Amino acid sequence: MHDVATPAAEHGAEAARQPVFERNGATILLSGDWIVDNLSATAAAFRRLRLQAGPVVFDLSGVTRLDSAGAWLVHRKMRAHRKNGAEASVQGASPDAAAILQLVEGNGPGPGEVVLPPGTGLFEGIGRQSFGALDNYTDFLAFIGRLTFISLRILLTPMRMRWRIVIDELVQAGFYALPIVGLLAFLLGVVIAYQGGILLRQYGGSIFIADLVGLSMLRELAPLITAIIVAGRTGSAYTAQIGTMKVTEEVDALRTMGITPVEMLVLPKLFALVIALPLLVVFADIMGLFGGMVMSRALLEVSFTSFTERLLQAIAIESYMIGIGKAPVFAIIIASVGCFQGLKVTGSAESVGRRTTVCVVQCIFLVIVVDAIFSIIFSRLGI
Amino acid sequence: MVVGRETIVRARGIVTRFGDTTVHDGIDVDVYRGEVLAIVGGSGSGKSTLMREIVMLHPPTEGRIEVFGEPVTEMSEFDCLPLRRRIGVMFQYGALFSSMTVLENIGFPLREHTDLDSDVIDEIAQLKLVLAGLEPKVAARMPSELSGGMRKRVAMARAIALDPEMIFLDEPSSGLDPVSADALDSLILKLKELLGLTIVMVTHDMDSLWRVSDRVVLLGDARILGQGSMQDLKASDDAAVQRFFGGQRGRGAAHDSDGGGR
Repeated sequence: MHDVATPAAEHGAEAARQPVFERNGATILLSGDWIVDNLSATAAAFRRLRLQAGPVVFDLSGVTRLDSAGAWLVHRKMRAHRKNGAEASVQGASPDAAAILQLVEGNGPGPGEVVLPPGTGLFEGIGRQSFGALDNYTDFLAFIGRLTFISLRILLTPMRMRWRIVIDELVQAGFYALPIVGLLAFLLGVVIAYQGGILLRQYGGSIFIADLVGLSMLRELAPLITAIIVAGRTGSAYTAQIGTMKVTEEVDALRTMGITPVEMLVLPKLFALVIALPLLVVFADIMGLFGGMVMSRALLEVSFTSFTERLLQAIAIESYMIGIGKAPVFAIIIASVGCFQGLKVTGSAESVGRRTTVCVVQCIFLVIVVDAIFSIIFSRLGI
Repeated sequence: MVVGRETIVRARGIVTRFGDTTVHDGIDVDVYRGEVLAIVGGSGSGKSTLMREIVMLHPPTEGRIEVFGEPVTEMSEFDCLPLRRRIGVMFQYGALFSSMTVLENIGFPLREHTDLDSDVIDEIAQLKLVLAGLEPKVAARMPSELSGGMRKRVAMARAIALDPEMIFLDEPSSGLDPVSADALDSLILKLKELLGLTIVMVTHDMDSLWRVSDRVVLLGDARILGQGSMQDLKASDDAAVQRFFGGQRGRGAAHDSDGGGR
């Protein structure tokens, strides 16, 4: 148990020996432990130390320990002095200190030799950004093309579809999303009924709350809120999963076995989401209407029965079908963007994170844009 | 045994279990200052786990580990922090931070733990890069642009950034071509000599065992099968030790080493 000095005691003593320096004419006296842990306070002062013109000697005889960081500071100081045409030398260094000084002198960078990554100028940056974005779009188009082609081929030979994976994905993306989708749709129904109800009551048209909640939920809000939740929940998971597989070369491994990543990783997810999202929208419809009903009864004294009767009169089946009809389109957007971004991951963990962010932003953006386009088309068609 | 060697790691009665699997069943290991200790053993013999336990990443199920005389197995995470700074670790796959350039990776511990000026830190990082045997221009690259060998060298440079007293290397030569592996062996010897480092490495590589290790600990069957210098182990009568070092690979490496060394 007792070899030399007990290291604990040695460590305690170390902390006490602060590195200090003192100028004595042309001699700079250094003492204490010039090691990286202790240097923080001394380094700045040492850097500011002005040396007199002419030869200068660094006396290291008081230095108890010197590591490469400490040696580098001394070397730097000497280098700066020599640059002014004056001499700088070391005396009194222990053999260890002399060796480490020699080591840093021999291997350290000269002035201005530190290699920093080349910065990009403003115009270069704009150019790179633009071409990067353009590349991204063309790549995405190519991906959509390939996806369509492979999907059609699979549809002709459905036995080749990996149904087992489809079912796993269905459970993940659909079943496990039920609680959050249901809760948010319910709350949305409550909010709409509350906000609209106050207004309707003033005009004595409380019963029209069913029109308001029914139309807005079924036609617009339920599909939209569901798509946004699924984009954040499932789209990001697709990117992260495929992206990580890309980093660990699992995607390449699939490729070498003659299995295209699209067939194995993308298609099952796409199919699963196309099935799951409309079902989630139906659930969101139910929960949203229920939320509206609860709020109507509490605030407007519209009973469940009268709400339902009015709902059936006021809302055409088309509104319900339009809402559900949008869901598969949203599903295609989310699954294809999620998988595309996953496959675009290159090399590093950082890339996975960046692509996941991009995926969620793009999914939600595209879902809202497409929803707006649907609105225009339906209003032109007069549905 | 040399008298008066300072023991900087003292592990006693280490027992490690993962569920029903017993990885270590009462292992005692010492690391002496200034030596290169190699931990060897078959796959799954708990080499890396033992290393992770000494560097305080994973507590053993039972047993006591002292690092620099401090009982780390009984200390809180917070109390371990000053000790961690005196230890450098090179992970098997480098574990470089992928969002930083090579220079930033090496300078990271300095930036976190000292108030040195940014340009001084960059210069010291560049110095460590050169010490690790890399070309200066590698500094500006991202980790994803490096080959496996370069990545290990950058990881090594980062491990010695704070001038630790002891470094741990997890499979330093695995996945490297013979030339790079030889160069890495030379680097380990050079760092030991120049910086006075104590080095603990986990390895499979017979050539590097003969070339760089002062002492070898052979793990197997959840205990230590043998320890000593390579010559001692080679001469051992123990069947398990012979199985490990007496195979074709072991003999080949020993032969090369004998030819060059004697």
